[in-house]
Order: sequence, then C-alpha cells, then structure tokens
Amino acid sequence: MEQMTAGNFVFAAILLGAAGFFSYNAQRLARYLQFGKGAETSRVTEMPTRLRNLLVIGFAQSKILRDPLAGPLHAGVFWGFLVLTVGSIEILLQGVINGFSYDAFLPKPVFALYTLSQELFALLVLGAVSVLIWRRLVTKPKRLQGPGTHQAEAVFILSMIAGLMVTLLLMFGFASARQHGMEPGLHPVGGLIGRAFGGLSDGAQFAGFAINWWAHALLLLVFLNFLPYSKHLHVLTSLINTFFSNTSGPGTKGAMKPMDLEAEGVEIFGAKDIEQLSWKNLLDGYSCTECGRCTAACPANLTGKLLSPRKIVVDTRARLLEKAPLLVAREENAAPVAHAAHGDGDAHGHTATGEHVAVAAPDPAIEALLGKSLLDHYITEEELWACTSCRACVQECPVSIDQLEIINEMRRNLVLTESRFPEELLPAFEGMEQKGNPWSFAPGDRAAWAEGLEIPTMAELAASNDTPDILFWVGCMGSFDDRAKKVTVAFARILKAAGVKFAILGQEEACHGDPARRMGNEYLYQVLAKAAVETLNGYKVTTIVTHCPHCFHQIGKEFPQWGGTYEVIHHSEYLERLLREGRVPMDEGDGERLVVAYHDSCYLGRYNDVIDAPRETIRRALPIVDLVEPARTKDRGLCCGAGGGRMWMEEKAGKRINVERTEELLATGADTIAVACPFCMTMIADGVTAKGATADVLDLAELVAGRLAPEATASAS
Amino acid sequence: MKIAVCIKRVPDMDVKFKIAASGTAVDETGLKFDMSDFDGYAAEAALQINEKLGGGEITAICLGPDTVGETLRKALSMGIDKAVQLKCDAVPFDGYAIAQALAAELKGGNYDLILFGRMSIDSSNQSVGPMVAELLGLPCVTAASRLDVSAKTSGTAQRELEGASETVSFPLPAVVSIDEGVARPRYPSLKGIMAAKKKPLEVKPAQLGAATVTVTRMELPPERNAGRIIGEGPDTVPELVRLLQTEAKVL
Repeated sequence: MEQMTAGNFVFAAILLGAAGFFSYNAQRLARYLQFGKGAETSRVTEMPTRLRNLLVIGFAQSKILRDPLAGPLHAGVFWGFLVLTVGSIEILLQGVINGFSYDAFLPKPVFALYTLSQELFALLVLGAVSVLIWRRLVTKPKRLQGPGTHQAEAVFILSMIAGLMVTLLLMFGFASARQHGMEPGLHPVGGLIGRAFGGLSDGAQFAGFAINWWAHALLLLVFLNFLPYSKHLHVLTSLINTFFSNTSGPGTKGAMKPMDLEAEGVEIFGAKDIEQLSWKNLLDGYSCTECGRCTAACPANLTGKLLSPRKIVVDTRARLLEKAPLLVAREENAAPVAHAAHGDGDAHGHTATGEHVAVAAPDPAIEALLGKSLLDHYITEEELWACTSCRACVQECPVSIDQLEIINEMRRNLVLTESRFPEELLPAFEGMEQKGNPWSFAPGDRAAWAEGLEIPTMAELAASNDTPDILFWVGCMGSFDDRAKKVTVAFARILKAAGVKFAILGQEEACHGDPARRMGNEYLYQVLAKAAVETLNGYKVTTIVTHCPHCFHQIGKEFPQWGGTYEVIHHSEYLERLLREGRVPMDEGDGERLVVAYHDSCYLGRYNDVIDAPRETIRRALPIVDLVEPARTKDRGLCCGAGGGRMWMEEKAGKRINVERTEELLATGADTIAVACPFCMTMIADGVTAKGATADVLDLAELVAGRLAPEATASAS
Repeated sequence: MKIAVCIKRVPDMDVKFKIAASGTAVDETGLKFDMSDFDGYAAEAALQINEKLGGGEITAICLGPDTVGETLRKALSMGIDKAVQLKCDAVPFDGYAIAQALAAELKGGNYDLILFGRMSIDSSNQSVGPMVAELLGLPCVTAASRLDVSAKTSGTAQRELEGASETVSFPLPAVVSIDEGVARPRYPSLKGIMAAKKKPLEVKPAQLGAATVTVTRMELPPERNAGRIIGEGPDTVPELVRLLQTEAKVL
C-alpha cells in the first residue's frame, strides 16, 4: 500500500462529513418514530417467522415478483444493489487508503468471482433502471400516478442510480484499458468498454478512471444522503419494516388490535393524529415508496371512490414529517436551561420541579401547524368510510405495510371519540346493541328457519346432559335474511344427511359484534364479543362450524382476545371434509354440466387462506363441472363491496363495487356463480340483477344440497 | 341555561310481550330496556340548546328502582351534566303520583326549562309533563316538534297538527314536552361513556303522590286467525268473491 495522498485526505473529509450528515438524519427519523405512542405489542416475538418474512418477502422479493414486469426489474435492481454494496465499500475505502483492494485479502478465485459479479450486476442494474425510467416517462402505468406520488423525484432517483452504474462501468472500462493487473477474461464488460479507450494515452486513461471514480464515489454519498429526504427512504427501512411487520404473521393475520377501554385518563380513543398511531404505523410511512400496488388492488379506488391506501400511508408520513420536527423543537425548548437569562423580556415558564425554563413565545404559524391533524387535514372521513376492509392493499404491499390498521385506528377515533359516522350506521349499531343483530330483526325470530327441522339447541342438549359434535353458528344473515336462510337450511340438511350430531344456540345466539369492530365501534364490539364468549364458554363449546366468513374469522381469530378459544371451521372446509370422507350420501349420477365461477370471500381467502376447499367442494359436488376463474381470483379476488361495514352504508360515489365484480364473474361465461358468504351472496345477486343477467348465484351448501341422494333428501326433510 | 330533562326507562317494544303472573303488568324477564324514544329527543334538544347558548347545566331525572341508573348513565354519556334518581320500588301507573314526585324535586331547582318526551312509549299516557307544569304553576307546551330557545326569558316551539303546524311562544321558565322531529338523539361516544362514569348521580327517595288510578287487568290482543289459501288461478276468483261477501263481509 502506498502513502496517503492529498486526494485521500480530501476524500476522507468528505466521507466523514457525509457519514455524519447521514447519521444525523438517521437519528432524526428514528426519534420521530417515538412520537407514535399508540398501543403496540412486542415486535420481537416469533423470530423464526420474522426471519422467514425478511428472507422470503424481503431478500427474495416474493411480493415484488407478483408483478410480472416491474417485479423482476425491481428485484434485479435490489439484488444488484446488494452485490454492488460490497464493491461500494471497497471504493469508499480506496478513497481513504490509496490503492486499497480486496485483492489483498481474498483468494484469487474468490476475488475473480467478486470482480465478475460487480461488472455483471452493474450492467444488469443499468439495464433494469433504463427500462424503469422509460416506464416512468413513456408508458406511465396508472398505478404510479395519482395522489400521494412524487413523479419528478422518482425519475431523479432512477437517474441517479443510472449515473452510478454508468460511472462504475466507465471506471471498469478505464481500469481494463490500463490493464491494471486484471485478467481480461474476468472483465467481459469492462474489457469491452476498455477497448474504446485503448487509443488514449496513459495519462488520459488515468484521468478517465479518476474522474469516474470521483464521480461515482461522490454520487454514492449524495445518493445515500438524499434518501432520508425522499420517498426512496424505503431503501433504508423496508427490510426493517418487513422484519417487524405482522401482516404475514407472526400473530393472527387480519385480527384487529384489541383496545383497552378501561385505561384511565385517555382522552382520545383511536387515532386522530400521529401520536395515537404506533411507531410501527409510522415506520410504514417511511417504508412506502409509492409503488401503488395497494391502490391498484383497492376495490374502492378501482370503482372511483376517494380512498387510496397509498395516500393513507403517504399522508401519515407527510404529517409525521410536518409535526415531529415541531414537537422536537418544543421538547428541546421545554428542557431545563441551566443558565437561562432572567429578566431579559422572554416569556418564562416552570417545569414540574420548579426549575426556571425559557419558553419561546408561541409562533402562530407553528401553533397552526400543530393544531392540524392527520384526520381531517390530510385524510378525510369519506376516504376512511370507503374501505371494505378487504385486505387487498395489505396483501399486495411488497414491504409489508399495514394500510388497513391505520384506517381502522382512524375509524375508531371517528366513532369512539367524535361520534362521527355515516348516519346509516346508527341503526346498525342500535340493532346490534338492542336486538343482537345489525338489522333490528326481532331476536325471537332468530331460529324461525329451524322450525320443523328438529334441530336441537345447546340448551336442550345441556338439559339432557348431552353435547353435540359441532355447534352450528348460524350468524345474523343466516338467521334472518330470507336468501341466506335458504343456505342455512341447505347446510343443516347436509349435516343431517351426513349424520353429524350438531346443535344451534337458537335464541341464545347474538351478533358477535364483528361489524361494529370493523366500523370502529370497539366499545359495542367488546360488549357483544364478551357476551358471546360467555355463552359459548358456558356450554364448553369446542368445535364451531359456520357458513359466514365474518363469523368464522371473528370467532376463530379474534375471540381468543377475550378468552374464547374454539376450533372454528368454515362450512366450505367442513363440506369438503365431509365429501372427501364420503359421509354425505350424494346422487350417483353426474348431474348437469354447469359452468361455475367461484367468487372468493375476502375473509376466507385473503384473511384465512381458505382458497382450495371451496373449489374442491364444488368439484366433488358436481363431478362434471366446468370450474372457471375470473380475472381477479383467489388471494387476488376482488371484494364484493360489503366488508368493513360497507354492507350498511350507501355507495354514492363512483361505480358500484358489486357491479364491477359481477361483470368480472359474468365475463367468464359462467352460468352459475358460487359464493361462500351470505354478504357476497347479497352483493353478487344484486349485481346479477343490475346487469339483467340470468346466472344463478348459489352458495356452496346449496350446490351440495342440490346433489344429495334422493333418499337422503327424503329423510333429511 | 339550567335545564331539567325527565326521562323514563321503558322496555324495547319490538318483542312479543307476556303478561306477568299478577295479571296487571307485563312479564319483564328477557326484556331489554332503554330510554323512551321521545325522552331521547328531549335530551338531545336540551344538549343542543346549551351547546348553542354556551355554558349552562342539564340534569336528567328518572323515577324508578335502581335499574334506572343505567338509563341515567346513558343520558350522562350523551353529554348531560348530572343525574338524579327518584328512588321507588316500582313506577306507578298513575301519572299524577309520578308528577307529584317530579314536581317536588324540580320545585327548588331553579330550572329555566323543564323538558319531557311527548309520552312514554310503554304507557302512552302523555300526562306527566302537563301535570308537572300545573303543579309548578308554569306555562306548558306539549308535543313540540321544533324548539327554539335563544334567550333566557322566552322561547318558541312548533307543534304538528293534523295537516297543519302552529308556532307558539312562551315565557321561561316553562315545561315543554318534545315530539319526534326535534333532533335525532346523538350516539354516545366512548369518550362520553367514560366521562359519564365520573358524573354525579344522586339518589333520593321519590315523594310519590297517592296512586288514584291503578291497573286492574292486562290482556294480550286476541290472536289473528291464520290466513287461508283458497286455491290458485282465475278459477278461484268467484269463490274468493263469495267468501269476501259472506264470511269477511267486506264487499
């Protein structure tokens, strides 16, 4: 190694400055996260799952790759970034230590592999980035546009990456031309570029190398320090975010956070501003690079509503970056000043301990900014109420952001603190509270569908010291809605035909409050959920089957929060099991050749990964069925529009979601649309009517019941 | 403005009632209770008056056994400032007995405005509000569907009549009973529910007057006969017409 040159000293000073500035920004952003005081569970649990997420979703880019074009391009840049970072460290060290090279430490073959990797990945990244720039400037995909996007910044960042790659490749080229002890075979790219410089003098070649080295190194430091000020911050935080995220586990996917409603001194329930969000919600803001995969999958956004999940996250970040510096300044001003000048005319205050502190006179502009809030000033009620809680946004996010949690926390604020919600929700709340169902049907009619079917209630069985194998949780739709009651009866007939020993709660069943929870009314939800848990635990229930995915999710995945732990099975899975085990006496003929499109319920598919069982049920019930899939299907299925309490709200803006979805289902040419959720049933059936189409909309249970063997039908009815 | 709102706890009416063993009251087992609908409008009207005028104090008063505490808490969770339970074992049927107890409580309270619901939805007597006004010697407006009180001295109210409406003005203090249409009662926020737990709820013995009217017997309406299907298609029309003439006697 040679002596340090003047250039080394200059570069060392620049490097130190850049590192210092970067570290200042990193600490600043980390400190801002601490303003998120919202309740948060430990995020260092279940490490194997977290590491798996980091490797699969983070490093292996599994979610990014769901986009067939942008996916591989991004993955190329990302993997290139990882490989080239090794080289960047070498380059930065070269700047400080003259002539530094990994060559000195690495065995020859490893070093050769390293130099080869640098050249190839630089070329790969340059190629990918070029396509990405072209895409931004020429093809302009819709999902990259819209509120909450920074177009110019995106192109600037991509250009910077391209600049980094160009300078790096030119560096390799000049180095190769100077034959800097390199074997030409290991420098296919540099060698090729180097040929162009072959005719230059040694001095010119050296100058070319030096210029590109400096340009590359400086650009690298500028890039690094630009990140904290840009949407490209995700380079630094998305892997961390993926590690801490719970959206693909650990924990229960899609379960809403329980609130402590008894907490003393709480003035604001839910989130009105960044302080009521958790540090993780705020980290989500840092990690969003505005790719728009969430918004492109959002049923509300697709049909012209104001909601854009991306905007929710971008707004959260924008408000944090607006408010947090002011809060920091206030904290620092409020800190005791040891030698505060007295009597100089400044306003003075006292800390709790009586210390004299200097307090800056309130600046009206700053007070106005502090007085704003994320809710209302950034995110409007209209956006929040448009959400169907379908979870498509969460599912699509490549860096595991939880957009839905922010929406839910803000809905909670609207309902619990402000009592502000669409007026259509009041009857739903009052119905759940007073009648135990959101439509205010007479509770006494809950088991009217079962009259004459000789289905025992839990109370009747308990009276004779008997217990059933399963409890059939009917749900409010299944109990009161005329269309859904037919599904209930069909399912009960199958259970009887299969000889399953089951019971219902009858009039003791009441809404578990899931709609209230999704609509932000955690208080009403907890009252109802705790009451339901008490009823179920009172009968020592172990296994529950239901045909409503919302009941299925709530009782199975969220009741454990209140001490209710049961095996909860959705009827699609239960039917599949009964059919597979040959327990249902089915008609032996092939039946009709129906063309069936199955519509995935969000709370089955995305929330609970129940994707194959409904399809398998259909195939087993209809041996010669032609099962077709709509354009958006399985974990990408489009919501029917009823989730998140939307069932009870009017849909005024844009196109109706159920019509959009029905069109998609009808486009398959299906003569029958199969559903596995009473809410989807209502929405899709309405959609079919609206389109004037003739397709039948049938629940899985009806498809199976329609194929029961004649003698089974006779005995079961 | 110092306002009193007199509320009643009533059963949810949308159920099939059963008569209790006594034969003079409904069987309360399994019934859900809440504030009477019109009283909810009255509470909302009181809240809106004070929100508009700023300041003031609203007291909710409810007569009955300790179970009415829940109803009073609901009023407090809506934003009413304090509550008084006039305790008695059972709510008498006689409105005059109740009015005497309420008047005794209201008399020394210096209220500018005393609000009632137009009637309780369980007994539908519409009597207590006017009787209280008479006992206190105050002007009384019944069934107000709009209420404007913008000064401490007087107010105006609108009343719906068959095919018309009338506007009346009155001096304060006064007793007003509230019809629907004034305002939809607000949904208590969790913040309101939490705050309600800390608001004062005073329990005093009800100074009931002697009951002069009592229920002697209560019975359910006779069950309707089940419908009958005569047949289908045009051929059955003559038979239907014959039955409507001879049996139902509506033609």
